[in-house]
Amino acid sequence: MEVGSLLVLSAIGVYFHAIFVSITLGVPILIMMLLLKYNKTGDQDYLKAAKLMTAVLAVNFALGAITGTLVEFGLVQAWPGTILAIASFAFVPLALELIAFANEIALLVLFIVTLGRIKPMTSFVILALYWIFAVFSGVLITAVNSWLIAPWGTGGIAKALYPFMPEFGPMSTDLEKIVALKIIAITSGLPLQAIIQNPGVAEKVGLILLDPFVAFTSPLAIVSILHNIFAAFLVGTSIVLVFYAFRYYFSKEERHLKVLKITAGVTFILFLIQPTVFGHFMGESVANYNPTKFAMMENAVKTHYNPIVAFLAYGDPSKPILGFDEFEKSCNLLGTTKVGDLAKLAGLTKDELSLIAKEIGAPLDPRKLDVVWNTEVRQLCYSDLEKAMKRITTVHASYYTKISFGILGFVSAIALFLHFKSSSISNIVKRVLGEKAIVVLSLLIFLGSVIPSVFGWYVREVGRKPWTVYGLLYPEELVTVVGYARTTEFAAFMIFVVSLIAIFGIFAMYLIAKRYER
Amino acid sequence: MEMSDVGFLGLGISVLIHVLFVTITMGVGWITAFSRYIAYRKNDVSLEKFARRTFRVLVVFELFSGVWGTIITVFLAGFFPTLTALATNVLFAPLLIALISIMIRLPSIGIFWYTWDKIHPRIHSTIGFIMAISGFTIPFGFRAIFSEITAPTAIAEFVAKGFATAFASYSSIVFWLLYLHTVFAALSVGGFVVAFISSLDKDLNGIKIGNRYGLYFLIAQVPIGLFYWLSLRDFSYYMFDKITFGSFLPILALKITVALVLLIIAVIAISAKDKIKYQYPVILSLLVVFLGELMNSGARYPYMVILGKEGIHFSNFLNFYIEIPMTAVFVILAFLVVSIIIFSAALFYTVFKRYLLEFPE
Repeated sequence: MEVGSLLVLSAIGVYFHAIFVSITLGVPILIMMLLLKYNKTGDQDYLKAAKLMTAVLAVNFALGAITGTLVEFGLVQAWPGTILAIASFAFVPLALELIAFANEIALLVLFIVTLGRIKPMTSFVILALYWIFAVFSGVLITAVNSWLIAPWGTGGIAKALYPFMPEFGPMSTDLEKIVALKIIAITSGLPLQAIIQNPGVAEKVGLILLDPFVAFTSPLAIVSILHNIFAAFLVGTSIVLVFYAFRYYFSKEERHLKVLKITAGVTFILFLIQPTVFGHFMGESVANYNPTKFAMMENAVKTHYNPIVAFLAYGDPSKPILGFDEFEKSCNLLGTTKVGDLAKLAGLTKDELSLIAKEIGAPLDPRKLDVVWNTEVRQLCYSDLEKAMKRITTVHASYYTKISFGILGFVSAIALFLHFKSSSISNIVKRVLGEKAIVVLSLLIFLGSVIPSVFGWYVREVGRKPWTVYGLLYPEELVTVVGYARTTEFAAFMIFVVSLIAIFGIFAMYLIAKRYER
Repeated sequence: MEMSDVGFLGLGISVLIHVLFVTITMGVGWITAFSRYIAYRKNDVSLEKFARRTFRVLVVFELFSGVWGTIITVFLAGFFPTLTALATNVLFAPLLIALISIMIRLPSIGIFWYTWDKIHPRIHSTIGFIMAISGFTIPFGFRAIFSEITAPTAIAEFVAKGFATAFASYSSIVFWLLYLHTVFAALSVGGFVVAFISSLDKDLNGIKIGNRYGLYFLIAQVPIGLFYWLSLRDFSYYMFDKITFGSFLPILALKITVALVLLIIAVIAISAKDKIKYQYPVILSLLVVFLGELMNSGARYPYMVILGKEGIHFSNFLNFYIEIPMTAVFVILAFLVVSIIIFSAALFYTVFKRYLLEFPE
């Protein structure tokens, strides 16, 4: 089943959403700083800048909300198999997200309506509350995304199929049912939607998850949340930074410099924490829970030694970086184990499986079931490793592009901060970069936060392929049954619409920012 | 209370709140865009001021009303995964229309608001019309779901052939009557809201415009409502029976009574100019919408999809994959109430204290 075009469409939707969400999360930090400054000094320039940023934030929020809707609908419309996850593992995070989303919007509206009309510190509190809910929203959505990357609560299911994988927490699922659904999907050749859309099927299948809160207990989720949220702060603030750097460069107006200094300070602090602390923990988690992704990042076709990477990833420089050759050896451990043998271990016989399939409205062809039942699991293991290997060059290149730009941004953030704080450093910076020093450094900070985010997300998503739910489900099992939705023409049309709206929206934000003060 | 009842009730309440909000925003959006355009063509400064004032309501309402759309989606996918999986298959195209419309609607509102006086009025008016029309194309997609669960056509085609053609749900007369009813109700409620906002500013022309929209589209709803009711007799007898002879008869009677009172007040308002308290038509028109939607959603109970005189029980679509933690659900409902309180504060500052006036008047 062709899913390539829908994967591209989903990626574009997620990227546009990420841009707007970053501004949604980062800009309020700056507005709060400006309000504090205004409250302390009474300088109208700070209030004006806060109002301008609020206007941009408002349009941006609308764009974030619509791209969020696009991603949400994209999930249930383009990948309706994920409805099974939404109704189980993701139920609690997504339901809690409603609290965040509803209050976030109510508080933002209240903030916009009352800004400049009430005391600055009251506005500050309203915006701070808005921001807390916005961050909470990001926390919950990242928790759901992290479950796709490390399906916590599924215990050793993935390890049974791929011995090189870790166990994903406790076994909180009904193994027999999960195995049955997976084999029925493989045998019928139909996406999960064809099964779960039949009225009464949920009652017949019954409980598949015993602990609805299990997604929150994933160690990878906790690290991912910190890494992603702080990356969003950084992208959001660096966009503002580069905007004000150019405004100051062309106008030489003191009011722009005031905002620039505040933004540079915030960006500097974020750069000190995000790539060094949270980035490091993220790398460790990937090494622990996504072995194929880590091998792709390190271009480890063959197992090799790299003391620096090994020290950073495992805390032990003598440990080898496991490569795909080692994973293939792991596949050999499966011997002649067949799919049917694993099903029997889970308590299923072929007859029972046929009966279950019939009951849930997805009758199986006995011959096809025989083929699947007698398939050697190691063949599946080899085949999936081969699919993952195809992406190794791009994932490796993307990862090191991300690292390189991150370092560039990190150094630039320190240089710009010190440029404002120390006259001797400022002289050195000016000598090296000339009069355009502020613009150049801001631009490098911008690139050093946006490019690592773009490539980081690419590594996060593409690095877990060929699975959508790591080690468990393929995109082909989650995709829509609607034929025309899987065509390239449909994806092209949607990409055109989404891009048009997003580009127009970004242009509108720019227009508002430019003309607001007139 | 059982989990299944919470699911059905939660979904129903979310639909009711969402419909109330979007009815206001759709109507106000059109009146604003059209007035802004006429003001530009006739160079009518007071009409432009009127358009700006009314648009405040939309700016404040739109995002919050959209939230309830998201809440509906999460309720559907979380509590009724089977229905969601089925709908995303047979109603793929209508849902896509709604999705694209949302993507146009929200940014266009923000852009329309912040570019007022900052770009050429012709371009600004065009953005206004895009904003207003996209408001009506959202229910063009979503109302297909309501029409399908009331009188299935796409689902029927799917059951018969194993697939449904992209626009099968639009071949249903029930859909078209429901959609027209929705549009007319939005324009009528929007009109009364606009009249009320204008009365706060003592803008007689604004009151006149609002009252005309309110009254004319209220009258237009009478035949549409009647035909819709009759179409239920032919295509969704279970609901027709429950509304006409069963437990929802008092709701129908109340709706007709309130609509008649509203009609009388609206006629008086047109002739009395500023002598009327304009909050009453707003409250009554929203009550009519509420009662109508209550019948539309509630009269199907205990079925989710109606098939003539019977239906498919809603438990067939329920989530049995987990034991839904009801404590979490109640916490969420409590916080949603908090969000309504915060939103009401924003609305109070906008409408009554008139804080959201960015423009010199």
